[in-house]
Amino acid sequence: MKNLFWGGIVLLAALAGCGSNESPTRPNDFTPLTSIEIVVKPPAIAQGTSTPLQALGNFSGLFTRDITAQVVWASSTQTIADFILPANRVKGINPGTATVTATMGTITASHVLTVTDASVTAMDIAPLAPSTPKGLPQQFAVFGKFSSATTTKTTQDLTFDANWASSDPAVASISNAVGSNGLAHALALGTTTITATFGTVSDSTQMKVIDPVLQSIAVMPTNLSLLTLSTGSFAATGRYSDGSTQDITSQVTWTSDPAIATIAGGVVSNLVQGTTSIGATLAGFSGSATLKVTGGNLTSIALTPANPTLVSGTSMPVTATGSFSNNTTRDITGKVTWSVDSNIATVDTSGGGNLALLNAKTVAVAQVPTTLSASVGTTVTPGKNNLTVTAPTLKSNSLKITPIAPFNQNLAVGTSGRFKVTGDFSDGTTTTTQDLTINADWTSSDGATATVGNVGLAKGRVTGIAAASVTITATYGGQAIPATVTVTQPTLKESTLGLTISPPSANFSAGTQLQFKATANYTNNSSYDVTEDVVWTISNSNVAILADSTNQPGLVVAVDSGTATLTAAFGGLTQTATLTVP
Amino acid sequence: MKRIWQMMSALCLSLLLCGQVWAQHDGPYVGVYLGMNSLVTAESRDDQGSFNLEYDPALQGSVVLGWDFKPRNSVGEGRVEVEYARRSNQLNEAEFLEGKVKGDGNLTVDSLLLSSYGVYRTPSRWTPYFGVGLGAARITADALQVSGQPLANDDAIVFAYQLGVGVDFALTSYLSLDLGYRFFNTTRPRLTEANGSKFHTEYLSNSAILGLRMGF
Repeated sequence: MKNLFWGGIVLLAALAGCGSNESPTRPNDFTPLTSIEIVVKPPAIAQGTSTPLQALGNFSGLFTRDITAQVVWASSTQTIADFILPANRVKGINPGTATVTATMGTITASHVLTVTDASVTAMDIAPLAPSTPKGLPQQFAVFGKFSSATTTKTTQDLTFDANWASSDPAVASISNAVGSNGLAHALALGTTTITATFGTVSDSTQMKVIDPVLQSIAVMPTNLSLLTLSTGSFAATGRYSDGSTQDITSQVTWTSDPAIATIAGGVVSNLVQGTTSIGATLAGFSGSATLKVTGGNLTSIALTPANPTLVSGTSMPVTATGSFSNNTTRDITGKVTWSVDSNIATVDTSGGGNLALLNAKTVAVAQVPTTLSASVGTTVTPGKNNLTVTAPTLKSNSLKITPIAPFNQNLAVGTSGRFKVTGDFSDGTTTTTQDLTINADWTSSDGATATVGNVGLAKGRVTGIAAASVTITATYGGQAIPATVTVTQPTLKESTLGLTISPPSANFSAGTQLQFKATANYTNNSSYDVTEDVVWTISNSNVAILADSTNQPGLVVAVDSGTATLTAAFGGLTQTATLTVP
Repeated sequence: MKRIWQMMSALCLSLLLCGQVWAQHDGPYVGVYLGMNSLVTAESRDDQGSFNLEYDPALQGSVVLGWDFKPRNSVGEGRVEVEYARRSNQLNEAEFLEGKVKGDGNLTVDSLLLSSYGVYRTPSRWTPYFGVGLGAARITADALQVSGQPLANDDAIVFAYQLGVGVDFALTSYLSLDLGYRFFNTTRPRLTEANGSKFHTEYLSNSAILGLRMGF
């Protein structure tokens, strides 16, 4: 009760200060107009020329306002001075004097305007010989020098009254329209002559149209979310004065908060969880975008399998798993730097993504462990394992070939399954079994019925091509082991029944990964795991991404808050799952 | 006005010297309040743009009819009441794009609110409270003028709410003095200008009030 009471007091104190106090934007048309002043420059004009008039309203002595557009203009003697468009412009028709008036409501102001008999003797155009970037306007002005027997020499702005022309309108056009007199537009590279003519007098200047200039920079994507340890790219597009655009990613100067990310050539790296603005600057123009780094910062690295033992000349996949500051873990095999004694083993990452193959060299070595380590930068302790390489002998007739569940040596056309092959090794006293899937040579007795992968992680993966039976053979160390695979060609169920995704939706936090499974369902009620056979896509990479579409099909990593759609496509069917990252 | 405040201050000072526990009233009560209110500069807007209206502070009055809950009852410590209040402030200045000009006329608000107040019981005669009220208000632009020219002469009914805080002093078991602050706000009334166009304005009042409630 006491907290509620004092909470109310605080709320009340806050509300007491409420109320907006914006600067007003509405003109005051309540206060009565009491007088009008007509402003004329110059006081006299030559016949055939014109000049704009201005009306200033005085409102009860409290304030003045330009009311040029609100008053009604009139001339007492239209044969001497008359109004033309725009409405406040008066033109001298014949020498003499005329009274011009400006009226608003009941208030009227008058001014006696003199029209002289002076004639133009020379004209000066300005600016002289301008260079204008393609696509930009160029305003010209022209001033006439007047004289007569009865008046002194005067100069008058003839920009409105002169006739404008361009010698090459394809290079630059110039306007004679009311309100834009003398306004040229640079249309194409080249040079044109701009001429202003009044009566029988004219003046000209060259106008050179030069290369278009940068007007703005756009950085794309405008919002990018990335996981720590990853990289991403921004692109800068320049918009030029002629309306063209150009990729200027390599020309701009990129900036970012170095505590969050470094950027070079538009590529961001060294990501630390947080948000930074990404800037691109060139020739005084700049554009920006926002980079949000998610997934926590790396705290430790663990390697699997733990302390492996490998037979000399054989291989196995190794995985690095990172633990992050947001209490998540994910596969970072493709992000670490591997190191091992090169006299004993190598780590092959040429398969890309999160694939790393540990290869024991074909050398006779003692069973002394060596260190296999994976590191990221220098601030996190590397993950380390002991690797033992042995040199036993493969026992005769010891190869065993086994289908990896759910594969049961039956396939539908277009689906795939995996075999693994093992061999028994002996050093005379101890027999050990080693997975040889990656080192065996795999062949199919009929490639038109089923193919079998024989490179990298694809080794042992059988794909059904046509209905029939086929023999798959794994060969290693002079030994061969066959297995039979039967391929059928059932019909997929229609629509969403033919392809399912498990789980059908997911809600997982940034930095975590989730394995999805795709199943193809056929009209004969058979089903096959097609996780490795479908094409996986995600609608919004700011929300979630595929961990490694080549080596880890269906493995999804959450990136940032939002909702995205995971789509699997197989056999002409598609199925979706909703991904939600809170 | 100054004399009234002097009398009220003297009364309050004398009450400060009292400190014994007092029996809490429960049941119906009536009350009457008087106070000063100040309006926040009202940002207003029509199809030509925005302008600000500034009003002079003014007296306000209200009457209430309510029910004191019995102490430690299941509903809670406090009271509910229906309040009718009237505020009327003179337009002092109007600010447009060109600057401020003199205003005239009154903006009058009649409000009817249903309020609920929670109290914080103390062993003394003093009982702080905090409450909220909801209801309706009729806002009347009574011959509002700018530079001597008519601005608006119209009225509108709008939703209103009020937050209040204060302290009760029990004079007797049935009579208590209430010194409080009220924050009163409404949705923006839409009023007609003299030229026929419509404008929205805001109404936001801060008030200091002194009242007497009598239970029976």
